[in-house]
Amino acid sequence: MAMEIDDSSNNLQRKQSLYKSLDETFGVERERYTGQQYSQIYFARLHLMRTILYSLVDTWKPHLPVCTVLGLELGKECVIVGTLYKHMKLKPCVLDEYSKERTGIPLVRPHNFMHPEDHLVLEDESGRVKLGGTVISPSLFVTGNVVALHGKETSAGDFLVQDILEAGLPPQEELPFDTKDKYVVFVSGLSVGCSSSNPLLSQLLVDHITGHLGDEKEQILASQIVHVVIAGNSVELPTGLFNGQYLAAKDHSKLSMPIKELDILLTQIAAALPLDIMPGTSDPANFALPQQPLHRCLFPGTSAYNTFVSCTNPHSFEVDSVRFLGTSGQNIDDLDRYSNAESRLDFMERTLRWRHIAPTAPNTLGCYPFTDRDPFLMEKCPHVYFVGNQSKYENRLVKGPEGQLVRLICIPKFCESGVAVAVNIRNLECHALSFSTDLDL
Amino acid sequence: MATTTKGGDMKMKGFYRQKKGSGVSKSKKISASHGSLHLKDDFDKQEEILRQFDMNMAYGPCIGMNRLNRWERANKLGLNPPKEVERLVNAGGKVGVECLWDGRV
Repeated sequence: MAMEIDDSSNNLQRKQSLYKSLDETFGVERERYTGQQYSQIYFARLHLMRTILYSLVDTWKPHLPVCTVLGLELGKECVIVGTLYKHMKLKPCVLDEYSKERTGIPLVRPHNFMHPEDHLVLEDESGRVKLGGTVISPSLFVTGNVVALHGKETSAGDFLVQDILEAGLPPQEELPFDTKDKYVVFVSGLSVGCSSSNPLLSQLLVDHITGHLGDEKEQILASQIVHVVIAGNSVELPTGLFNGQYLAAKDHSKLSMPIKELDILLTQIAAALPLDIMPGTSDPANFALPQQPLHRCLFPGTSAYNTFVSCTNPHSFEVDSVRFLGTSGQNIDDLDRYSNAESRLDFMERTLRWRHIAPTAPNTLGCYPFTDRDPFLMEKCPHVYFVGNQSKYENRLVKGPEGQLVRLICIPKFCESGVAVAVNIRNLECHALSFSTDLDL
Repeated sequence: MATTTKGGDMKMKGFYRQKKGSGVSKSKKISASHGSLHLKDDFDKQEEILRQFDMNMAYGPCIGMNRLNRWERANKLGLNPPKEVERLVNAGGKVGVECLWDGRV
């Protein structure tokens, strides 16, 4: 008996943290569909963003009058606020296959739908105007952005843009002062059930997080992990089984196999520390953003633990008053299809400056037809902004004009890279946790 | 959202079904008034106020929302919609709950 008590005094204690979910805004259970179309969400977005932009215009261009699109006068310099629409030559259209006219659209497409002839149009309730000039570049913006523009109407009827104002980073609460290192671990793209996923790799990750691996030094690190977030694409279901017929009984078990395996992995994590799971494109959840939580019935083992939270995508939460916001990657992947940037972090930084995490919804990104709000609008600036299922691990610290500090993180697909990401909530420092089962060193 | 119940299905079908009973019954009126065109429906002053509200773009698109919800949204967004509209819709009676275009487009 005495020996056992001695043992327990040497045991490492896992650090604790205070968790608060902020997902309420992404829930759709209180919404009722009454036949509304997407015009409503654009109205709500334009109205909410315009209120922010109007308040900024006073300090940006105090000497200029603010007009509506209909109120534009030839040659008069003014400021207009509206929603951007990007006219894209290569953007696929459902009507294309019915048009009799043979168009010059190339059959082989480059990596995205950008074309040098793309142009931007700004619209508000009163009308729309084509934007000209070299100041505003169509490759940086997408349909759905709300911006304020300084310029004048030309004799051709276009609006010559001279300056652009975006909403900018939203206000941020100060990072709480803490002297202890605590880590939040992000992983995405576990893809359990995918032919290329390696079960040993996922098990190594679980064993590391739960503190079953390595020497004391490594276990001390593991004990400082206070939260785990799985950012989408946890399973890959064998969709080849669907052939339009009823599934045979033996295929039912094949279909649910990946989820059962995932449940076993998650149970081990949830038994050790708090765990959030977000749905992603390949998960059994709804398609349109905000994706609703994966049903608890899918995880009979894990859902027995109160440390397990099935949450929405996008997901927002606080750990010890450090604010997190992130998605499973759809918003950034869609921006990559319809605009250009050097890296995925640039897309993320833009969404921060636009104060909107998914401007392409509902145009090219599926989204619920909200009527009185736009949940993708960022009201408060997060301290950590993450995006799952990216091709490689990247991170950047963004500093805002009002002293905002945001850590941007691209979480790679775990099944391809074997990389998870750990963020220290004390100082927002971030490092990769790399796992490999390759034995030739 | 993820699941569609049977009840939900029926509601959707009902929603998209053409409402043949209501709507503008032009042909009847034309015959009744010996060829003179009556483009006006039968509606009173109260309905007129509500239709003006429906057509006011400042309060956002009206299709797919009932009048009360649209009024509440406008109120929530700080657009100061006319109080009269809320009073009329809540009073019930002859005035329509749905917007001007409901069942016509």
